[in-house]
Amino acid sequence: MRSRAASAGLVLALVASFTASLAPSLARAQAPNPTDPVPAPSATSATSPSTTAASPPADPPPAVTARPPDKPPAPAESPGNDEPPNVEAPVKPAAPEPGILEQITSGFSFGSYGRMIAGSDFRGRPGRDADIVARGSRLDESNYVELELRRDDYWQKTDSRTRVVATLALTNPVFHYSGDFDVTLAIRNLFIEERDLGIKRLSVWVGSRMYRGDDIYLLDFWPLDNLNTLGGGLRYELTESGRTWAALHAGVNRPPGLFYYQQSQRPAPNNAFGATTVDILNRQQTIGSLKLSHLIPLSGNAGLKGAVYGEVRALSSGQRETDPGVFEDVPAENGFVVGAQIGAFTGQRDTHLNLFFRYARGLAAYGEFARPTRLSLERTTDGAQEVLVAAGGNWETGPFGLMAGAYLRSFRNASAALDNDDIDEGIVALRPHLFFGEWGGLSVEGSFQAQQRGVLFAEEPAEGETKAAPTGPLTGTMWRFGVVPFLSPAGRGDYSRPHFRLIYLVSLRDKGARAFYPKDDVFGLREVEHFFGFGAEWWFNTSWNYGG
Amino acid sequence: MRAMSKSVVVISALAALTTGLGCMSFEEQAQGEITLGTHVDDWRQEVIYQVLIDRFADGDAGNNYRVDLTTPGHWHGGDWKGLEDKLDYLQDLGVTTLWISPVVKNVDTDAGFDGYHGYWTQDATEVNPHFGDLSALRSMISAAHEREMKVILDIVTNHVGQVFYYDINKNGQPDNDVFGGGKTGQSPVEHVTEYDPEFDPRGIQSRTSLGESGPAPVVFQYDPATNHVPPQPVLFQNENVYNRKGRTFNFDDLDQLVHGDFPGGLKDVNTSRCDVKRSMVDVYARWVELADFDGFRIDTVKHVEHEFWRYFAQNLRLRLAEQGKNKFFMFGEAFDGSDSLIGSFTKHEVPAHPNDMLLGGDLARENGPEEAGGCPGAAPITGDMLDGVFYFSQYFQAVRDVFRDGQRTAKIKELWDARADNFGSEPNANGTGIAPSKTLVNFLDNHDVPRFLYNGSGVTQFKVDPELALSNALLFLLTEDGIPCIYYGTEQELDGGNDPANREDLWNTGYSTENATFQWVKRLTGIRKRHKALTLGDQTVIWATDHTGDEEDAGIFAFERAGGDAEGSYALAVFNTHLAKTSSTKFEGNVMKTSLPEGSTLVDVLTPDYQAYSLGADGELDLTLLPTTGALLIPGEQVSPED
Repeated sequence: MRSRAASAGLVLALVASFTASLAPSLARAQAPNPTDPVPAPSATSATSPSTTAASPPADPPPAVTARPPDKPPAPAESPGNDEPPNVEAPVKPAAPEPGILEQITSGFSFGSYGRMIAGSDFRGRPGRDADIVARGSRLDESNYVELELRRDDYWQKTDSRTRVVATLALTNPVFHYSGDFDVTLAIRNLFIEERDLGIKRLSVWVGSRMYRGDDIYLLDFWPLDNLNTLGGGLRYELTESGRTWAALHAGVNRPPGLFYYQQSQRPAPNNAFGATTVDILNRQQTIGSLKLSHLIPLSGNAGLKGAVYGEVRALSSGQRETDPGVFEDVPAENGFVVGAQIGAFTGQRDTHLNLFFRYARGLAAYGEFARPTRLSLERTTDGAQEVLVAAGGNWETGPFGLMAGAYLRSFRNASAALDNDDIDEGIVALRPHLFFGEWGGLSVEGSFQAQQRGVLFAEEPAEGETKAAPTGPLTGTMWRFGVVPFLSPAGRGDYSRPHFRLIYLVSLRDKGARAFYPKDDVFGLREVEHFFGFGAEWWFNTSWNYGG
Repeated sequence: MRAMSKSVVVISALAALTTGLGCMSFEEQAQGEITLGTHVDDWRQEVIYQVLIDRFADGDAGNNYRVDLTTPGHWHGGDWKGLEDKLDYLQDLGVTTLWISPVVKNVDTDAGFDGYHGYWTQDATEVNPHFGDLSALRSMISAAHEREMKVILDIVTNHVGQVFYYDINKNGQPDNDVFGGGKTGQSPVEHVTEYDPEFDPRGIQSRTSLGESGPAPVVFQYDPATNHVPPQPVLFQNENVYNRKGRTFNFDDLDQLVHGDFPGGLKDVNTSRCDVKRSMVDVYARWVELADFDGFRIDTVKHVEHEFWRYFAQNLRLRLAEQGKNKFFMFGEAFDGSDSLIGSFTKHEVPAHPNDMLLGGDLARENGPEEAGGCPGAAPITGDMLDGVFYFSQYFQAVRDVFRDGQRTAKIKELWDARADNFGSEPNANGTGIAPSKTLVNFLDNHDVPRFLYNGSGVTQFKVDPELALSNALLFLLTEDGIPCIYYGTEQELDGGNDPANREDLWNTGYSTENATFQWVKRLTGIRKRHKALTLGDQTVIWATDHTGDEEDAGIFAFERAGGDAEGSYALAVFNTHLAKTSSTKFEGNVMKTSLPEGSTLVDVLTPDYQAYSLGADGELDLTLLPTTGALLIPGEQVSPED
């Protein structure tokens, strides 16, 4: 009993430390953003019941659907994944006994990512996400929580391991805000993964899975790979050390909307009474991805990491009914993504830097759950493209830490002419921390974001004046400055959680940024925006990427 | 830190990557103010082609919002980019001026119909996003100008779209009310729609079953999804700028004609107000300044006071001339068979017509202070109005009655002889430099009448091959005095009936340039361009007849084009409009006499072998034509190899 208890405790401790030591940017927690992640500014508030996403927005397309990280990118001694498996610590002197994870038998575990906030704009309205870019500051993100339940088993007969992961995500409305028994929820993970069955270092998974690589915590953004599909995949570590691996995945999804699905009424068959529904168009998107990653250890716990990534997407042709009995052909669609990542980490205190590049074309440019609009003359997504470069990192020394995140993104939809849904945008964000011992500290955040849209902009004239001719594409910029004192029971560290915090954030919009909003929207009327909130963020023991 | 410093973080090709990130790149001409220019030399030499943008060509699927190709009354997706893409097609056809449907933002949909035609203005200061943005509009116009083509904008000043309803029963919602029991002894049943009630000279009154209670409140709608939102500019959100008298049902009543809402709930603007006049000048001059249009086609001209046209036309010309836009051509649509009425909008005297007098047309008052009912402009108002009008009387009496129905050709001569009396005979100051009587816009059909080839219900049936009749009518159109206007699709032999059947999608034709009518128009526009007589020459009828039976000359009509500014160029057009009989240019020994001397040679450039005729004594020409055919005779020495 004592040995088992001791073993169990040691396992838990090692799992905790193992997960903390994983490769850079292991953040995970998701922003509820299941639908189109719009670049347009949000009309919902952080705490209002109508908020469903961190960056909700209204309209169109693209953007990478990013989820807020859950786990900070603790520099790893070796790249791992979230399995029990091997992963001997590359540089630490190993105990002579077998790897502790090999001693894991079975058990349930629970993990969570969450954030809660009560916010205000100092003008009586709830706090509201004021970013003008798709992935902006997350200080004014809305409430979100993931509850994760896992079951790990070691199968002695086959010397293999399985893990079942079920993650329930919930977001606004919150009962204590609205008084309504109502909530938005989603199943973010429901999959099973095995490792070492038959082939050592090979893991296979099947199910519904958040399947993604490294993130930029500061922007709640997975720039390179961030898929949500129903499917499966396999991952193979080409070397004993696990530093080189390849992951292959295939899955399907089918967002709502006439681009994918149409149901029509028909008389019941066989002269029966009433009507029934028939799926006239029902096509699901097939996505396949391949990622290759290699880590080069340096002295100490430091290392370099590189990855290449590719994705293909396909959607079959079909028919859509325009009038009863009248059909139009819906062409097949396809797309692809190519990308790469290079990173470096010190292995000390989560210090790392990652650079990402991603190019998407066709259907893939619109984003995973997008309902493509502004199509080509042939009514396809052919010609759409997205180019993205991004960087994210963290540096800590002594009582000081600095998080950074930046990206530049250019999206063009499939229609030849520039329009409101063609976007160039970017952000640079920095969040230095000053730690007061181990119990808390003060962080400030500054960001500059800009967005340009494919419409010509002319200022609205004063009453009685004639409107001037447009002077160029609509371009908006915004500076944001935030101050966040926090308490950190888990101790010092930029990625140390939980955090209890106060947030004050001021945003300065130029006239271009104000022009992004419709008439009478206060964000379109105000140059200066305040956000004040107090809240918390936590994460522990959650599943994250597949080891990228 | 040491580890970090040793680490090599390679930022690979960031510069290359950033160049791969696109920057928004609009053409230079799409931004900022543009320089206006005068792109026309002489409007008489132009051939106008009417384009219904929504139906002409779809060049950008990105603006295909709510497109429904299965329903004629809905958006179909045509846009300015599509028109620009097809300029080569139009240039090949030989047309030189494009009249495009209105560009302003419309009520998007109403009562199951969409505002695809452009005549339901909601925001006169914004482009209609269904057709593109300002960049696309400018690009199209610029591309047209590069091809020496001009662009005329269709504008509406008489009314706006269905932007408000009359709250007759004052219940705060738009209703279809029913009054009256309809039984014996009871009042008759009346259906009254608050969107479009019938005309009331007092203004629409509020009422319930208990009786009337004064003017009905006007309620501006607010449904952004269908763009039923208050109109722009802001002036037009003031209910007092509307006449608020309800729908015209008797167009012979002057009050209804000028002050009634246009059927379909289109709210009539009080164009007698000075602020309205100034706003209209400002709004539409601005469109020229933004996009460099070369002229206006003005909708529903007869529904607006002459006084308004005097103010509008003169002040617009002055404002545009200051910016280098001269010879700006403004012609109007007065859908009426009365020559005196449609011509009155081109005359120079005040009052120009009994309607003008009855509505108070008076230059002294018009030039007086606003408080006295005047509206001083940039310069003293004179009698000048429009540079031209659609020759509707000719449409009814010549195109329909003669070329389609084979009635007596003398009607045409009688009509033309009245021109001098009915139309302006002097150029307008700061105008085109040409008398309006010389720049009437001639047409065979348009978006408001059945196509010439239509042979269904509601029109007399063709008694001859319709395409033969069309060819003859096109010959008439492209040789007579005035500016020809060809409705899109004519060259593709479209044959739709009344609206919306006559607004077919041109892309369904494949834009064929090989069909007979396209080739015929192309040939005629080429001949017209090469022979100044057909554009700048005076017009003299040398044969017209009352005969429509078996007489020798039944159906014959002939006119010369010569003199004027034609510089010696000469052309003779001869038509046999009889539907069944071969006829000749003579009757009972009397042979048609031309103005050319005996022995002159005239060549029919429309015959394959260039049939030549030698004129007899007194320039006589005895020409025989098959039914529904014509001849175009040019002096032998003036014939071009390209003819």
